[in-house]
Amino acid sequence: MGIKVDFRKRYFKKKSDKRKGKDPVFVLDAQFEAGNELVVLFGRSGCGKTTTLQCISGLLKPNGGKIIVNDTTYFNCHTDINLSVQERGLGYVFQNYALFPHMDVKRNIAYGLNGWPEEDMDKRVEEMLDLLHIKGLEENYPSQLSGGQKQRVALARALAPKPDILLLDEPFSALDMVVRMKLRDKIKEIQRELGIPVIFITHNHVEAFTIADRIIIFHNGRVQQNGTPEEVFYHPENKHVAELVGVNNIFENANILQENDAGETLILQSGKLRVVVNKSCLKETDRTSWGIRPENIRIFPADSNEVSVKDENTFEANVKSIVNKGSSKIIAFELQDHRNLLTAEIWNQFFENTDFDIGNSFLVKMPREKIVLF
Amino acid sequence: MFDQIGFPLLITLKIAGLSTLIVAITGMLISYILARREFHGKWLADIIVTLPLVLPPTVTGYLLVVLLGKKGILGSILYNLTGWTIVFTWQAAVIAAFVVSLPLMVKTTTAAIEAVDREYEYAAFTLGRKELDTALFITLPLAKKGILAGIVLSFARAVGEFGATLMFAGNIPGRTNTMSISIYSAFQSGNNDLANMLVIILILMSLLSMAITAKIINNWKI
Repeated sequence: MGIKVDFRKRYFKKKSDKRKGKDPVFVLDAQFEAGNELVVLFGRSGCGKTTTLQCISGLLKPNGGKIIVNDTTYFNCHTDINLSVQERGLGYVFQNYALFPHMDVKRNIAYGLNGWPEEDMDKRVEEMLDLLHIKGLEENYPSQLSGGQKQRVALARALAPKPDILLLDEPFSALDMVVRMKLRDKIKEIQRELGIPVIFITHNHVEAFTIADRIIIFHNGRVQQNGTPEEVFYHPENKHVAELVGVNNIFENANILQENDAGETLILQSGKLRVVVNKSCLKETDRTSWGIRPENIRIFPADSNEVSVKDENTFEANVKSIVNKGSSKIIAFELQDHRNLLTAEIWNQFFENTDFDIGNSFLVKMPREKIVLF
Repeated sequence: MFDQIGFPLLITLKIAGLSTLIVAITGMLISYILARREFHGKWLADIIVTLPLVLPPTVTGYLLVVLLGKKGILGSILYNLTGWTIVFTWQAAVIAAFVVSLPLMVKTTTAAIEAVDREYEYAAFTLGRKELDTALFITLPLAKKGILAGIVLSFARAVGEFGATLMFAGNIPGRTNTMSISIYSAFQSGNNDLANMLVIILILMSLLSMAITAKIINNWKI
């Protein structure tokens, strides 16, 4: 059961380029497996997420490979299987809802129930209205609905024909925060109840983390990592993943100094900056990149008696810029001896009385266990 | 009185109505294909459909005679088989009206269909609906304003058709003397009272059809 995807899709600048054998401008190489769980495809715009979804749905035809959902082969270039969109039995929720503007809510939801006896159709529509809490809106037209209501109707419409798989293309990008959070819970609940694979596209890493059972990270047309949210967020495989999941402080190609070989730690050197890291995280032996999430950087007053510059991974730094996000602040620090920039995120409630003016100096500490290597 | 006003009015409505009906159906089919399908020679198909819009109507009429006349390429076959020729019949007037008004239908309807977001069609496909079903219940209803505009323009063009009709269907009293042609004949023979009457009827008809169209479009929400 679940979903098994391994296909390629090539894009050429001009149609004739393909015949002339020129190189494609973009190649999507989608390769991943997932169970009957909530799978998030995560990456920047243009990384191939939506194309992947369209190939799974059959709206686009891959150039090669195979797509298998719940043991049904949707596409296999070797055996010439390519089920039509209609035959795939899937639910698809579009970014802009794509509700039929000339049909009321009830007819929108019933549209996929073609061929059902009228009694069953009415019953199914009722069930969907109940499930998504949109009772009372049956007679309304899409133009009379709010964004959140539209998205609920779109979900109801996609789920009504009992699909084998549900595909959602950035479904919440036009909704406000409160509605978004409610619908996220709803989708999770629906996935648990139906037990079908749900594939959800987003470029918002908070959304990805909160909703996913499994996250598949795309960058530049390739799958970079496939794992649980914890694995992906705390153990990114490479720089692209680290950047995408919010590891804002990244130092590439640090030298590994073996001198502190005695215990479980080693020293990394990036330019003049030296940090101590846990040896167990190391994957390659000669060079590595490392990073730390902004919220993991700890800040102390310059005259603190808790820590000093002599402590491990502790540096003097000046404030370069501040962005207040309301509950937290994003502060860019410049390390005094190294000119490196570090971005830290701090909770306002813990620093109510601290003055973060530009130029003020602080001690910043990068706790060894919070540094990720990739 | 009937021969001079009633017959031209009825034959015009019959010719324009029938031609518009055929134009509407074939126009929607051609427009859907032009808007939604990619095929080799699409540009050529587009040119052939549009050509009568730019050709002088007398040229269109002449070409129709060459093609469908008694000695024409297709007409001769028809004549040999049945002994009947379409030239100088009201059916010929329908064909002339059809050919000259089709481009107006196709141009407006193609633009209207192209303006329908393809995502609606994709949504219908994912809900298990086939392309024909989707075209009939999603695409065409969403393009209905453009389609209606095309139908109104085609009807108006068919009512006003003169040049190609005169070449292909002639001006035979009691058979093919449509309103437009009757106005010309009345004017030529100095019967200005009749010409005035026919002109007023045509103007009223045009105003009425515009008013009805506006009313229908106003009542449509989408």
